[in-house]
Amino acid sequence: MDTRFIRNFSIIAHIDHGKSTLADRMLELTGTITARQAKDQFLDSMDLERERGITIKASAVTMHYDYEGRTYTLNLIDTPGHVDFHYEVSRALAACEGAVLVVDATQGVQAQTVANAYLATETGCEILGVINKVDLPAAQPDLVAEEMEHVFGIHKQDCFHISAKTGLGVKDLLDAVCRLLPPPLDRTGEPTTALIFDSLSDEYRGVICYVRVFSGALKLRQKIRFMGAGHTYQVTELGKFMPDMRPVDELGTGDVGYVIANIRNLGDVTVGDTITDDAHPADSLIKGYKPPMQMVFSDFYPGTETDFPKLRAAFEKLALNDASFSFAPQNSPALGFGFRCGFLGLLHMEIVQERLEREGDVDVVQTAPTVSYEILLKNGSVKRIDSPSELPDLSGVAELREPFVRLEVITPTDCIGGVMKLAEAKRSRLIKTDYLNPTRVIMEYKAPLAEIVYDFYDQIKGISHGYATMDYEFTAFEKSDLVKIDILVNHAAVDALALIVHRGTAEARGRRLIVKLKQTIPRHQFEIPLQVAIGGKIIARESIKPFRKDVTAKLYGGDVTRKMKLLKKQKEGKKRMKSIGSVQIPQEAFMSILDTGE
Amino acid sequence: MSEHQAPAPSEPVGLYVHVPFCQAKCRYCGFYSEPIDRHDPHRMVRALARELDLYRHVESVRTAYIGGGSPTALAPSLLVGLAKTISALWPNLDEFTVECNPGQVRQDVLDRLREAGVNRLSIGAQSFHARELQFLGRCHGARPIAEVVGRAKVAGFENLSLDLIFAIPGSTVESWRHSLESAIALDVQHISTYALTFEADTPLEQARQAGQLEAVDEQTDRRMYETAMERLQEAGFDQYEVSNFARPGLACQHNLGYWLNRPFIGIGPSAASYWRGRRTLNAADIHEYVAAMETGRDAIVEIVVPTEIDRVCETAVLNLRMRDGIHLERFARDTGHDALGTFAEPIRLHQGLGLIRVDAGAVRLTAEALPIADSVLCDFASLDTVPSPRFV
Repeated sequence: MDTRFIRNFSIIAHIDHGKSTLADRMLELTGTITARQAKDQFLDSMDLERERGITIKASAVTMHYDYEGRTYTLNLIDTPGHVDFHYEVSRALAACEGAVLVVDATQGVQAQTVANAYLATETGCEILGVINKVDLPAAQPDLVAEEMEHVFGIHKQDCFHISAKTGLGVKDLLDAVCRLLPPPLDRTGEPTTALIFDSLSDEYRGVICYVRVFSGALKLRQKIRFMGAGHTYQVTELGKFMPDMRPVDELGTGDVGYVIANIRNLGDVTVGDTITDDAHPADSLIKGYKPPMQMVFSDFYPGTETDFPKLRAAFEKLALNDASFSFAPQNSPALGFGFRCGFLGLLHMEIVQERLEREGDVDVVQTAPTVSYEILLKNGSVKRIDSPSELPDLSGVAELREPFVRLEVITPTDCIGGVMKLAEAKRSRLIKTDYLNPTRVIMEYKAPLAEIVYDFYDQIKGISHGYATMDYEFTAFEKSDLVKIDILVNHAAVDALALIVHRGTAEARGRRLIVKLKQTIPRHQFEIPLQVAIGGKIIARESIKPFRKDVTAKLYGGDVTRKMKLLKKQKEGKKRMKSIGSVQIPQEAFMSILDTGE
Repeated sequence: MSEHQAPAPSEPVGLYVHVPFCQAKCRYCGFYSEPIDRHDPHRMVRALARELDLYRHVESVRTAYIGGGSPTALAPSLLVGLAKTISALWPNLDEFTVECNPGQVRQDVLDRLREAGVNRLSIGAQSFHARELQFLGRCHGARPIAEVVGRAKVAGFENLSLDLIFAIPGSTVESWRHSLESAIALDVQHISTYALTFEADTPLEQARQAGQLEAVDEQTDRRMYETAMERLQEAGFDQYEVSNFARPGLACQHNLGYWLNRPFIGIGPSAASYWRGRRTLNAADIHEYVAAMETGRDAIVEIVVPTEIDRVCETAVLNLRMRDGIHLERFARDTGHDALGTFAEPIRLHQGLGLIRVDAGAVRLTAEALPIADSVLCDFASLDTVPSPRFV
């Protein structure tokens, strides 16, 4: 196929700015699906995505569109909009020459829009500016156009004004995709290179790789090599997403589609890897994609130990469709056998949690998420830990380091004071302030990830009545004055409740934590002391008083059935908790750590 | 029906007869009863007799208990007639109890009940304070309690029980102690002490939910319970169940049958039965019940067939309410399972906390466990694994 008539592009947008709706309109206008077929938001295929209204995984679709007497092949590669899924955005963009940047006319430029636009520019994509929802009464397209000019350098008059909902302006936009976005470079005669930008596992066909061919071609029965991993396979099926999978004999330069090659384990495929011809390999891998980095870790334990294999099976199943999630067996002195899981961010964790609950059919107790830390040992070696319980004896430690991020907050100017106050409380340092327009400002901070990863976004939203947005990107591990807080429940240290915090806030955090624990751990048959220790020294204590009376006064023949039911229920309530010694700790208690109290 | 579900010929069976009438309903009472003046008690008693007759072939009935409601709300001839019907069907009962309300029984009624074969009276004293009695909605004062006890003795009853209620809103440990002392002073053979329970859909519970009254705090409730245990023990009563105390050898045989999880036959509206492996409930409706009896149908509205695991758990929970606890050999004989193996996990857990003791072939709650017994028993209410066969 002539690469001049191929366009590979992504739509990038903040959540709810209309990305999926726009994709649906394009699919309809190109006749790829009919309006009748169109389930709303076609590209969001997982139930969870549909419910949350966000896209978790990238996916792709090939459309045909007639423009100026020529039929163009438009490959739309979808991207997620949430901060946790930067790397998914980056791998989608790596497969494209262009990006359609959508901004809501009623909301303006948001932090994630900025982050994703920078990613697009870094990857070398040409950007088309689109202002969506111009039909809404609250739309301020001119103001938004000014912001786009200021932030992205897109000229006001070059922005497309559309309504994805009604279809207004979408045809013009498709024309512009053909006219303004660059075609793939014609490297037809070169050795085969194809970028894997996503993968998923199919029960019957094994692993399905989503690919973009950059040079040469992929052919049926070709012997291919994964350059990064070094594995070789034979192609058993090639195809395009039309939008359903349609087999073809060849994917040429510029094409987007899928490859099936008898690969059993998703773990054997690394997204970002390059496929080449085994006999005539390319010299080097395709660049332009950032590998995922797990920043948040949390332990999952089965409610009862006998459920451990069930939990493992559930995680294995989840990992099949989510290569950015990791899990490894873990043995906690307090909680027994479970798994340490790594996530891209908190939203990613919540999504995995929900999928586990939905699909796993297993009761789990989860510990509070933590970030990883880096430790410089006195012997000069550097160690990474992703749980406070792994912190070694401090006598051998030269330096504790925590992860820092570049944080960007876009906020109405009248909330600057509140944002600054919050950021200061979170040990964040203001780097610069830039006015988007007289009423909105973009603030850049250097912030410790641990301080912003949990509820910072919610607090920012609270301060700004929902108007501010934020985004962050990991920069480096840096030395920090950190201490470990131990929590003792009934005189036994509970590793799952330990946390690493900055020395300045340690005591207050510890005190708040046991007050919260006192509220969440139910009364028992005996008194339960709760203690906070820093460096082996007890600095605070609370106690949970025992209950004094819990007995049915009358239990005669007619009461048996009803009473047994109540007793069973009472027992079920205990089952949802984790036994540590003789103390039953409910799930919420482990999450008390997250209550930073501001 | 499998073999274990049918009672062995020698297994004692209890008979309960529910008289669904009261003069006035007490505020705390969750049992089914109706004002007697709005119904035909003659027809009701005839209906009860019909249902009783269905079980005439059951020779193993050893105890009978006429409760309610208020049996003594019936006209004396009806109540005595009902007692005679039972005695005629089962002439050799070990124990035959009738519940009576103070202020509702004349001397001659008690004489005639004694003659009819009744050998035990359960007297609904509840409290010896006029204010508390009034709060509960009882229609008698403190004095009629002593009167009925006196008359019962004159009639020749040698096995009398008093029901008492503690933790009544407004009561104190001191007022409770007074009620206890008053009961002890009457020289009865058996005393039941119940913490006031706020049963669903009772006027008392509605008042509590509306914030019109406040339940006695847990700490005081517990002190009252402990006071009863201490004081009754001193006075020569053995505590043989969570809420029941008796002179040596005079524990209520009928109620013991419930805690041993033995079969029982319930007669009358709303009465429960555990018969031939089924737990059934009669309609809690006088008209429905009478109509069923008069047309030769049963009045059952609910049937639950406990599984083998249910039976094992029920037996354990009920046994543990008794101070003698789970007698291991008896448990194995009754259920076919080994209690120590089947309940190894909860036994180990609560033994460690000093709430359960295993010795002399039995598993028992300790004295410390009694006030919080449900928090222990709940761990015996269901099984996560299959029960262990007997004596593995």
